[in-house]
Amino acid sequence: MSKIKYFIQQSWLLIASSLFFGLLLAIADAAWAPMIEANKTKELDNLMAELLPDAKKFQLVGQFQIESPSRQSEQINLYKGVSASGQNTGWAFNASGFGFGGEIELVVAIDNDFKKIAGFKVLSSIETPGFGDQIKLSWYRGQFIGAPAEQLQLERTGNPEKIDDQIVAITGATISSQAVVNIINNTLLPLRTQMQQKGLLTGGN
Amino acid sequence: MCPTLAVTAALKPALTMSVAVIFVLICSNVVISSIRHLLKPHLRILMFTLIIASFVTIADLFLKAYLPNMSEALGPYVPLIIVNCIIMCRAEACASKNGLVISILDALGMGAGFTISLCVLGVIREILSTGAVWEIPVMPKSFVPWAALRMPVGAFITLGLLIALMNLIIKKRATTAA
Repeated sequence: MSKIKYFIQQSWLLIASSLFFGLLLAIADAAWAPMIEANKTKELDNLMAELLPDAKKFQLVGQFQIESPSRQSEQINLYKGVSASGQNTGWAFNASGFGFGGEIELVVAIDNDFKKIAGFKVLSSIETPGFGDQIKLSWYRGQFIGAPAEQLQLERTGNPEKIDDQIVAITGATISSQAVVNIINNTLLPLRTQMQQKGLLTGGN
Repeated sequence: MCPTLAVTAALKPALTMSVAVIFVLICSNVVISSIRHLLKPHLRILMFTLIIASFVTIADLFLKAYLPNMSEALGPYVPLIIVNCIIMCRAEACASKNGLVISILDALGMGAGFTISLCVLGVIREILSTGAVWEIPVMPKSFVPWAALRMPVGAFITLGLLIALMNLIIKKRATTAA
């Protein structure tokens, strides 16, 4: 009996504060969990909105399985950008692959008839700061805006302001530059084929 | 030291980190100071860790909810405030022995020092690695960014040079005083 008394005497403060701080954390988590969840979906929406500025909202059209050479199969969520008047302003989808540091996750946008790339944004990446992470910079990303939705090629030198299927690599980060080109090449054309089979791309809309 | 080096690639994350540390420092010092008479010597480290960890988790959740971009940039270094030596040391050396007012002042002072050193490191590294401060360009267009300074090696070199500079100043003062 005295042992239990001794135990409680020594540890009551620790037990009481554990309960107190546990409760405090539970309250904080309950209060902010919906905001944290909303931030994640908002981030994707914001990226898509920057790529397709005419779209007022984005509808999830469907999920596609894309076979790629580097991995088994990837699930692609395809979104349709809808303007205020209900017009289709373009498509956006997620795509990922391996770069120099690790996985690169992109959001890629295409115009409404799948002829031209409207751009891409990096959702997450761990490329080397100052080198590989230049894939986030506008001079590199700008090369994709308006580029044909066909197989893209990576060039070591060239004029990055010229918009065509030639993408100029980042100096010192060829692997990261190639990774972005590969990710887009590996998903874009298979996705278009699947969309045509589903009848999503007929009638130019 | 590790969060100090990891978050000072630019001014913004450095300042966010400092504010988070000041928040945790004040809260933990206040709580520890007000329960200091109840603390049992052999359980005090457990209590410190429990209190600090709780406030760090709250700060981490707050950043995730209100500053998601910053939270992403700081990555694991916000939760790592739990093992920040400054906070543990002030809890032990000051808050567990002194009253509420002194503990709060101590937290503010220590926090200000931490903020200054982090921001100095952040400004130097941001200017040299991107030519900008607070993401606003300040260097001439011809400036070639030193990408290496954004990587951990840049943090070590900058910190080393700053400490050397401080030692030089202290030494000079000592000789002029003598």
